[in-house]
Amino acid sequence: MAKDGPTRALQELKNAELFGVMPEELSDGELMSRVASGDEEAFRQLIERHQDRVYGTTARMMGGGGPEAEEVAQDIFLRVWRSAGTYRQEGRFVTWLMTVARNQIFTRMGQRKRRKDIDREDVVDPETGESFMENQADPKMRMASEALSGKELERAVEEACAELPENQRLVVHLRQYEGLEFEEIGKITGMSLTAVKALMFRARETLKKKLSGYLTASK
Amino acid sequence: MDKSRTSDQGKDQGMELEGLLAQAPPPQAPAWFAAKTLARLRQEKEEDRKTVSAWMKWRWVWAAGTAAVVAGWVLWNRPDPSVEISDAMVFAALDALVEQEEENRWWAGL
Repeated sequence: MAKDGPTRALQELKNAELFGVMPEELSDGELMSRVASGDEEAFRQLIERHQDRVYGTTARMMGGGGPEAEEVAQDIFLRVWRSAGTYRQEGRFVTWLMTVARNQIFTRMGQRKRRKDIDREDVVDPETGESFMENQADPKMRMASEALSGKELERAVEEACAELPENQRLVVHLRQYEGLEFEEIGKITGMSLTAVKALMFRARETLKKKLSGYLTASK
Repeated sequence: MDKSRTSDQGKDQGMELEGLLAQAPPPQAPAWFAAKTLARLRQEKEEDRKTVSAWMKWRWVWAAGTAAVVAGWVLWNRPDPSVEISDAMVFAALDALVEQEEENRWWAGL
């Protein structure tokens, strides 16, 4: 372990000599080449450059930020580290990164859904057959009882997005917040251009309905 | 209802919806995110290294065990030289059978 520090410093020096430029000046593709050769400094640069994008997508898809979203976002970057050797510079790096993110997020959401199903089975009263979940307060009701604050609108948008089906939510996020083209979204989700546009249309219609209370044009 | 008015209303709603969504941006990564991710990477690398070194530590045991299993298999399947039967033994046995048969026939009065 004691040898790790000097060894790493030597490696960084060797890389700097080899490439002659600092990591922050490098493109994503060049950083990935460095990551493939085990350069942790390049990896740090890559994380810092894309962490908000990855964490934001994870948080939006999983219904909010927090330790779980953070863990999944870390998993995504660790997958990037492991797959750096197989990365080919065809198209934008962001498209590839978001494809990795999508796979990781959907895998985790699948696991969470299965776990939730088991939990739901556990909370049924064996004597009466009544579900304890039914007696829990509806989060929407809780929301209504809360005092209206400046964050109310933000929360309403978040809730409306969270209620969208997973694919629609992802398409809306990638288009609205990441500013990706429909073609890129198609590559990430593995869908045709028409399918992506149809999903986007349906998602917008649903959002319009859910947020109609905040839209003046609907009044 | 006037068709053009409905279409305009739809456009207005679309614009407004974009505005609403823009007011609720997704959360940003915490400040410690990169450092924590790198720490996790180093931890995983260390665990991998430990697994490999554990294998290397016990490599003589694994090698000896494998050699013992192979040797046992070879010995078990080796042909046993003691059960080899010579031609002379076969003929002697046949002669004894013929002799026995003849004796039986004599005693039977045949």
